[in-house]
Amino acid sequence: MLRKSDSSLLLREFPDFTDTMHSLVAMEKMPRGVVDECREAVALARRFNRTVARNYALELDRRTQEDPTYLPWELVEEANRWGFFTMWIPKLFGGKGWSLTSIAPFVEELASECLAITNLIGVHYFGFSILVATWNIRLIDQISREVVEGEKTGKPCLVSGAVTEPEAGTDAEEVELLARAKVRCHARRVEGGYVVNGRKIFISNGHLSTWHILIAYEDLERPDESMIAFAVKNGTPGFSFGRMEKKMGQKGCPASELVFEDCFIPEENMLVAASRLEEMKLLSRAARRMKRGPRELSMQLIDFVVSATRPGVGAMGAGVARGALELALQFARETVVDGRPLVNHEWVQCLLAEMYMNAALARLSYMEANYANSMYGMARLLGFKPLYYYHRAMPTSVFDRLMPAANRLDAVTSAYRLLVMGGQSEEEERLASGWASLAKVAGTDLGVKNCQLALELMGQAGLRHDRRAEKCLRDAKLLQIYEGTNQLNRLNVFKCLVAPAAPEARAFED
Amino acid sequence: MAKMVGLSEELRLLDGMARDFALNELVQGREERDHYPFAPPCEDVLARAHQVGFFSLLLPEELGGAAEPVQALCLVLEEVCREDASLGGAVFTVALAQELLARAGAVEKLEQIYSRTVSVRDALLAFPSFHNPGDTQPNLAAERHKDGYRLSGGVDYVVLGNIAGKAVLPAKSGDRPGYSLFLVDLQAEGLEGSEPVLSLGLHACPAVDLRLSGVEGELVGEEGKGPDYFEAAVDRLSVAAAAASCGVMKGSFSTALDYARQRIQGGRKIVNWSEVRMILSSMAVKAKVAEMLVREAARAVDGKEPGWRLASRAAALQVQEEATELTCDGIQILGGNGYMQDYGQEKRFRDAKQLQSLMGMVPLRRLRYIRRIVDGESPWA
Repeated sequence: MLRKSDSSLLLREFPDFTDTMHSLVAMEKMPRGVVDECREAVALARRFNRTVARNYALELDRRTQEDPTYLPWELVEEANRWGFFTMWIPKLFGGKGWSLTSIAPFVEELASECLAITNLIGVHYFGFSILVATWNIRLIDQISREVVEGEKTGKPCLVSGAVTEPEAGTDAEEVELLARAKVRCHARRVEGGYVVNGRKIFISNGHLSTWHILIAYEDLERPDESMIAFAVKNGTPGFSFGRMEKKMGQKGCPASELVFEDCFIPEENMLVAASRLEEMKLLSRAARRMKRGPRELSMQLIDFVVSATRPGVGAMGAGVARGALELALQFARETVVDGRPLVNHEWVQCLLAEMYMNAALARLSYMEANYANSMYGMARLLGFKPLYYYHRAMPTSVFDRLMPAANRLDAVTSAYRLLVMGGQSEEEERLASGWASLAKVAGTDLGVKNCQLALELMGQAGLRHDRRAEKCLRDAKLLQIYEGTNQLNRLNVFKCLVAPAAPEARAFED
Repeated sequence: MAKMVGLSEELRLLDGMARDFALNELVQGREERDHYPFAPPCEDVLARAHQVGFFSLLLPEELGGAAEPVQALCLVLEEVCREDASLGGAVFTVALAQELLARAGAVEKLEQIYSRTVSVRDALLAFPSFHNPGDTQPNLAAERHKDGYRLSGGVDYVVLGNIAGKAVLPAKSGDRPGYSLFLVDLQAEGLEGSEPVLSLGLHACPAVDLRLSGVEGELVGEEGKGPDYFEAAVDRLSVAAAAASCGVMKGSFSTALDYARQRIQGGRKIVNWSEVRMILSSMAVKAKVAEMLVREAARAVDGKEPGWRLASRAAALQVQEEATELTCDGIQILGGNGYMQDYGQEKRFRDAKQLQSLMGMVPLRRLRYIRRIVDGESPWA
């Protein structure tokens, strides 16, 4: 038998055991209640699909093909009635406080029916995740409670994330690229706040959202060191909506242009600024020990967000892979070729098996990434067993009595930042980010693949809008692009998961 | 210009004319035409294509056609589909329907249609060109009635079914195995068309579902011989379907390359990123190989060289698949912009996948291909 020290050394060889076995590690740490929440989330999504999405998805897609400027308010209101926009907001901030681990299976389930509807619901949490990544507790609390209020009153309050710019798409997702990027969204510090000028494009749900979490830059020559985040509410002078994009798919979820023209944003709506680390008490002892400066903080903010959201995109890929399989299976059962049902042809059985495997592999990938994020990402505190059970057992009303006042205190923000931002090691950041990219690429490529296979199997029927498969393909293609193109994500997989075995390697410097 | 080597002067002129036509008539208004069926059908483009003879390339001269070889149809489809594959879909469908009539020996029916000056509507022939009627049992039945036939039932996805004068439709007749082909007047009483089918691609190449109730149909060729005529037509025109996909590939690559030369990411033009170059290289290789494959297969078809039938089919299966992969990358090079309608790349992605289903389901076409080899047909000399 191996001595413990030998075993430890062997397991640290590439690929490091803990780099590759997140589910095993998570099993020890994960509260059992998380599994129950995943079951409930999937069941809820199935009910929503059967009662709402299944009858509505094609109609919505057709309507938006006819009129690309159509805004599906009725869908937003319906999802609001189902409580989907507050489910994953922690109880600390007035939400229902579901475990973050349960959001990805929920997303897969929705995506098996319609990616546009899934994105419309899911991308609210993209905006919300940028908000949370700043750990500005006062603003997180304020905006979260408006979302909760919107659910109670039936007037939805959604959050969008405004990152992409006309000349900088992929650049915004890596500081190495950001350092050389042509960003234009400029925030100039003035008395009492900032004046922002610039445009953001491809902002999912832009026209439907009330709050927009905006990423801007104080120094356009050094954007990697001057990233700044704001919360901008509709009606802010100088902020307006531009055009809505004419997309190939996911048409039911609008992609908007946001325009900022001498838009004054007060200091209290500034979430975090990389240039003001010391002032905002971000240079904690732990952070200082890790030599985190403005650039490293920017990367940490980006990684906090994408580590949480990219597995979600992978889950969307798994969902559409499954949806395509279900359509192909249905076609194979109802179509007779050479005198027998297509499903009884051997080659069809192998093709359907391959599609099932693709969906399963996509799921395995995003769940591994999900575990990595729950252990190492920005919300890992909530997965700590005592805190998890306390958070779960305590009624929201109790939190509502205690937390709003506390959440307004600067000291609370500082404490969270110390714990979460200062407490995350570079190793943890690397693992969460690398696996998120892996899941995103794997899930989305497999999703597109299954849609293509379904169309090949279905022939003429697959080309028709009323048979749904062609919509799956149009919708799925976007998954390979947003949340960082798959090219960028492959490089990130190299940077985070492969490069440690080649210390001389430099990613993003070709 | 490599494509031109070995072509006759006449074909070179035709290629140049098709290129000019594509650039002058198809680039402008492509997005608006693609908005069909939510916008009016683009009959003006079809009319201009008719004027320059795109719908009569293979017809004999006595019928007003150009009596061109299949290579000519391939050249036209490639050039047209570089800019807008919808017109390519219409040109291909008409050629396929004409070929079916010719394979069935129904020359007199072609004469009835084309021996006089015809309007564009009369020149168009509809056919369910994304389906092999032999794959599944036809839903249309033909019954003898006096000297002719009456057709009842339905045919789905009849391309050009709402704008053509006549359609070639497959129907089950009597107890015979297989199916028969019938020529049907699309204005006939008892014939009802659906709203235009909303499809993945080729939006401006309209299709409808037809429902027939006792509609008169003229038998084409012999009863029950539809599969023979269809397979013969597939042999000859598969390479033309490949040419359409090849054109889409070239258009997608050109747009991707142009964009990569302009777009800056991470402080430099993306064409200078080696990962982007790898994708572009793969696209360029696929497009070039497709062009060579189409050209060689078309030459084999026209020369009736040994193995030409399988060469034609192999070209289609290979090029159509490569086109779906290449156009997927074609979007990816443009990132978010590629997914938007403004750049034409998303349309090429949809069109390439749609074109892949021409003449039937891909897996069944693959099985049919290998079955012929297993049964003794040699794919080469």
